[in-house]
Amino acid sequence: MNGEKKINVVLAGQGNTGKTSVFNYYTGLHQHTGNWAGKTIEKLEGTLYYKDYTIDVLDLPGIYSLTTLSAEELISREYITKHKPDVVINIIDSTNLERNLIFTLQLLELECPVIVALNMIDIAKKKGITIDIDKLQDIINTPVISTVASRGTGLTDLMDKVIELKEKKHDRGNLIYGKEIENCIKQLLVELKDIELPYPHRWIAIKLLEKDNEIVKIIRELKPVIIEKTKHLESRLEEIHGHDSSLVIADERSHLASQITREIVTMTPHKKMSLNDWLDIITTHRFSGYLVMILIVGAMFFSVFSFGNWLSSGLDKVFRNWHEWWNNNIGITFIAALGWSAIEGVLALIQIALPYILPFYIFLYILEEWGYMARISFLMDNLMHKMGIHGKGCISFIIGLGCNVPGCLSCRIMESKRERFITAVLVTLVPCSAVSVIVFGLVGKYVGLWWALGLYLFATAIIFIAGKISSKILPGEPVELIMPMPDYKMPQLKSILYQTWEALKEFIYIAAPIVIISGVIIQAINLAGWMPAISTFLSPVTVTWLGLPAITGILLIFGILRKELILVMLAAYLGTTEFAEVLSSQQMITLAVVSMFYVPCVATISVLWKEFGWKKALAVCIIEIAFAIILAGIVFRLLNFVF
Amino acid sequence: MNTSGKIKSIIDMQDGQSGIIVSLHGGRNLTKRLADLGISPGTLITVLRKSLFAGPVQVEVSGSRLVLGRGLASKILVEPK
Repeated sequence: MNGEKKINVVLAGQGNTGKTSVFNYYTGLHQHTGNWAGKTIEKLEGTLYYKDYTIDVLDLPGIYSLTTLSAEELISREYITKHKPDVVINIIDSTNLERNLIFTLQLLELECPVIVALNMIDIAKKKGITIDIDKLQDIINTPVISTVASRGTGLTDLMDKVIELKEKKHDRGNLIYGKEIENCIKQLLVELKDIELPYPHRWIAIKLLEKDNEIVKIIRELKPVIIEKTKHLESRLEEIHGHDSSLVIADERSHLASQITREIVTMTPHKKMSLNDWLDIITTHRFSGYLVMILIVGAMFFSVFSFGNWLSSGLDKVFRNWHEWWNNNIGITFIAALGWSAIEGVLALIQIALPYILPFYIFLYILEEWGYMARISFLMDNLMHKMGIHGKGCISFIIGLGCNVPGCLSCRIMESKRERFITAVLVTLVPCSAVSVIVFGLVGKYVGLWWALGLYLFATAIIFIAGKISSKILPGEPVELIMPMPDYKMPQLKSILYQTWEALKEFIYIAAPIVIISGVIIQAINLAGWMPAISTFLSPVTVTWLGLPAITGILLIFGILRKELILVMLAAYLGTTEFAEVLSSQQMITLAVVSMFYVPCVATISVLWKEFGWKKALAVCIIEIAFAIILAGIVFRLLNFVF
Repeated sequence: MNTSGKIKSIIDMQDGQSGIIVSLHGGRNLTKRLADLGISPGTLITVLRKSLFAGPVQVEVSGSRLVLGRGLASKILVEPK
């Protein structure tokens, strides 16, 4: 390529600012994702070739501050201070200027070269917000460019500015805080003079006054006197302001942000309520909000499942022909059969990914971009709270109803590790579309629709109890919901397709290897003729305790691959799809209960493994197997009173 | 600031009512997190709506809309206007 000169650019900003759109616009064709060292937090990097420059762009996680409260925040500030990028582009949501400016002030404190991108300026205009860009530029002494990232407007200007800033360094000077704070900073700067650290001295002083754990620890090791001095200064600040010194600094920033906003923003108040206001009221109302939610989520599942069933059965016919072709042309040897089971693993993934997960993701991203997901979190927070997690977890549950794999992956939206784990474990108990096939194909069809729906209610109760128990036994405090409420906005087709593609790719990458390998292993056991021995071995559990036919043992082993195989193999072994002829009603319900809970499928196990380590993944599997068997045995005995 | 009779938590305010934040009851991490979102003493906060069954509270503060969990909201004390 022609890029001789290199520039390192970092994108920083809060969530919902359009940061991802900016990143995709610049690096759409040259992206690679990885993880931050030792973390499960995604690291997005890309390259742009522009005007003789090779510009490396790094997208930092969307965060609300540069403190060390979360792993994402720590990563971001460590990256900026240690790697000293040439330019940091701070992307701001123009409709939430004041809140975003608080973050900008923290970036400026790091004394790195910053360009502010006032994004979504079109929406701000529509809302009657006019921003004096020149004045903002003057006040913070930093270049400001207005952009509409979803349409690419202003992004060329922004890159030109990046090059300009890289070529000619400019000394910005610092923003001045209140007199007492500046006084404290000045005194600390004297002490810090001979300290050699990658951070700017003024920033260290501010962080010391903010009682930042990380910085206090570092300074205590280098020069403990400074900590004594800081304590002294802090108590003076606290005396003047009447609250904790860490808050004094944070308050100072937020007041400065609101002062700047007052100076640069002119509001033209709307006389009429906008469509956005109406939609917001209806969708978050204490009654109509829930009604709308049930309608939207219900419509989503209905259309995804009808489309999915149609496409899946179509694919099934095609793949069956392939299987025949394979048997006729490759032969029916041991190796050929193993080869086919590897191919079958791939086909099975396609059969889940294309008909179900693809349309499901498209729906989800439309709702997400539109701004509806935040409304669901708001409406469901109270109920979720009773399980020990907050409202955002509901989104993972909804995704889990489609497929547990993306459901578990989506737990990354939860703030703490503890929350992430609890949510993921609960998602593995959510009946996914494959389990629904069993529940409706067996219980719904032969015992009654109400029994099938009752099983869903039963699953809800189990998830609820499991949530209560796990939030009790796992150490740590529950995190409360703090979430910006985005305005409704038109979803962008390009961004939805892009996100769907990325999510689908991740699903295949994680699930494919383990699904194929375990498929081949189970097939090998089957072909070696060990299955009858295994079903005999498992019969104390399956026959004696659960009251099911002995072949259930084999079904449950295949079910680990994909849950709907339980039904498919049942038909194959019995030689009929008229299950009522061979199974009693209580046997069908018992089998459905076991299938629902007994173990996450291999693809889900691999996600748990990747996200939480093999120990936790194994523990979840063992606990769920034991739990499901005990539970289903009890259910079987209780059902004796009914039937 | 001897107006303790009037001071109340935002969960006790009516939908649409505003007030000036007087104090935040909570650990340092929590109050800092709130300050980073523009919720700090001296700021005007408006309760937009509360959800059913004592759920979270939707507020508007410094021009942004936020949703706060119930427990969190109960720790924000304001002087209603």
